[in-house]
Amino acid sequence: MPASLKTLGSLVVRYRLLVMLAGVLVFGGFTQDDFLTLTTFQSILDRAAVVGFLALGLTPILIAGQIDLSIGSVMSLAAYAAIALQPELGSLPAAFAGLGVGMLAGAINAVIVVGFKVTSLVATLATLLIGASLALLISNGQPVSSADPMFGLALTNEFLTVLSPRSALFIAAALVMFVWLKATPSGRNLYAVGSSMPAAISAGINVNGYVAGIFVLSGFCAGAAGVLQALSAATGSPLAGSALLIPAITAVVIGGTRLEGGRGSSLATLGGVVALGALTTLSEYNGIPSYTQAVYTGLILILLITLDRIAGGNGGKTTRTLRSAAVKQA
Amino acid sequence: MSIRRNILLGGALSALAVAFAGPVAAEGVEGKSICYITAANSHFYVTPANEGAQAAADAAGVELTIVSEEFSPQTGADQLNSCVSRKVDGILLWPLDANSYLPGLLKAQQAGIPVVAIDTKAGEESMKLIASFVGADKYGQGQISAKQMNEALGGEGDVVIIAGQAGKNTTIMRTDGFLADKAEGINILATVNADFDQQKALVVSRDLLTKFGDQIDGVYAEDDAMAAGFLRALKESGLDITPVVLGIGGTKTAFDAINAGEMTSTIMQPPFENGRLAVETLTKVMAGETVGADVPLENTVVTKDNIGDYKPAM
Repeated sequence: MPASLKTLGSLVVRYRLLVMLAGVLVFGGFTQDDFLTLTTFQSILDRAAVVGFLALGLTPILIAGQIDLSIGSVMSLAAYAAIALQPELGSLPAAFAGLGVGMLAGAINAVIVVGFKVTSLVATLATLLIGASLALLISNGQPVSSADPMFGLALTNEFLTVLSPRSALFIAAALVMFVWLKATPSGRNLYAVGSSMPAAISAGINVNGYVAGIFVLSGFCAGAAGVLQALSAATGSPLAGSALLIPAITAVVIGGTRLEGGRGSSLATLGGVVALGALTTLSEYNGIPSYTQAVYTGLILILLITLDRIAGGNGGKTTRTLRSAAVKQA
Repeated sequence: MSIRRNILLGGALSALAVAFAGPVAAEGVEGKSICYITAANSHFYVTPANEGAQAAADAAGVELTIVSEEFSPQTGADQLNSCVSRKVDGILLWPLDANSYLPGLLKAQQAGIPVVAIDTKAGEESMKLIASFVGADKYGQGQISAKQMNEALGGEGDVVIIAGQAGKNTTIMRTDGFLADKAEGINILATVNADFDQQKALVVSRDLLTKFGDQIDGVYAEDDAMAAGFLRALKESGLDITPVVLGIGGTKTAFDAINAGEMTSTIMQPPFENGRLAVETLTKVMAGETVGADVPLENTVVTKDNIGDYKPAM
């Protein structure tokens, strides 16, 4: 029956993260005796923190119908700055300098996108390339080790049984962003910007301001990811974020935020990051090579998006277009 | 990443040809589990080392789970954490930088899980938390190369050093060891970095030959791939000189060059042996036996005179 298939599909889509997490946990429980433990959960959340900050920064960007490809490069620059500046500034100010590097990069993106009217895909592709090369040029291709390796170690310590300070920061940031997006006028306006920019403009929303703001926010989040990564590893690597752009986008999309804009949630992103982290941890417990794991991730993406289409979804541009087409036919 | 790159892949098993009196896996570890965080899944040096580790684990009856960092120390740090939370009985770690593994190493120490490092040393703070290091004595390789150079040149001559990546532990050790033991009369014309890469070595060697030409009496290449790069450049140049050329690694290309009289010597660094010895050392630690902080691979020099006794390490 197509109808019941549709119902099942929509249920799976709505609770996709729970379905995926349950799948991972059941499989993990079967294949590994000691998978279902609090330490496993702590390690999953801890590893989710860094890519999680990147994904969080990306969430409002996607909701507004934009894209920021530069986050990985910005993270590398921030990570390098947070360690390389330690001798001159001291450990804590250097960490804030790393955040500043992130915000500065975000502001540059904002100027290119809003000021020069370059599509965000092209603008941030350019800053991705520039940022990645700049990190390698400044560092001469070499990671810098912190002279004070104990400074950031506490970030990955155990905290409240299942957390670490850095995963707690990530979860707190996701909650704050959730409240902002869902419960404040400015958050709700952002959805309007992503749904239909002309409509948002005619409704008197300062679209340029919103777009500029979220790029700075995204840069800040990428900076935070870089600083957390650099401090907990006591190493500023010019390649720190180079491989994290795709996992971050994947996590946001698996969470249900649409690349087309107008739909998404930071809690869904939190779920997406944790679900992917659980999958990675499970693979490691079973000794599955990381490249095999990328195949699963790709298949899960295709499956989820297809189910999304089958189930019809409940928002977003594509379905809105389909709906209006259906109205015209009627 | 202090692994030599771009050397031709050779038979891993040939490493067994090296006469080696290493430790044997400890008793009483059967059924225990080891997490092996390796540098890569597919790499000319790492892959045979992984095979050696697997062979030793199979022989000792321990369960070996291999996870690959794919040359990213951040990935490795996450994997180390997840190995610790899995509560394995021992961890074999391939460190790719100085500090990234510190959080995981501290957790391993708290959980009472012994860690052994393979091939490369991590930073000082990290090594305090690592029971033993199993890998080539790279400083010793530099010293042996100096001795070879001293003998071949009679203690006097102008040499160039083709070094690995700047700042890498392997490069620093091999350079320092060489400089420490070279004779007074050996004059270093130039030290250039060719990143353990044959192609880069070819390019820098062209420059060296143009600049110094027949002034070059000897070449110390910090691995066989770079030695091969120099020999290519020498052939291209058409210069009628036969400098002393030293390499490290024991690749098939180096063996061919030694047989042809183009290269003077190389030092065997067998990866399969490295992996096997690392797991054996770790099982000893797990069984509560005492092991040295350094478990070096034997440095065997291969020259024209003894090349018949050995097979290429890679």
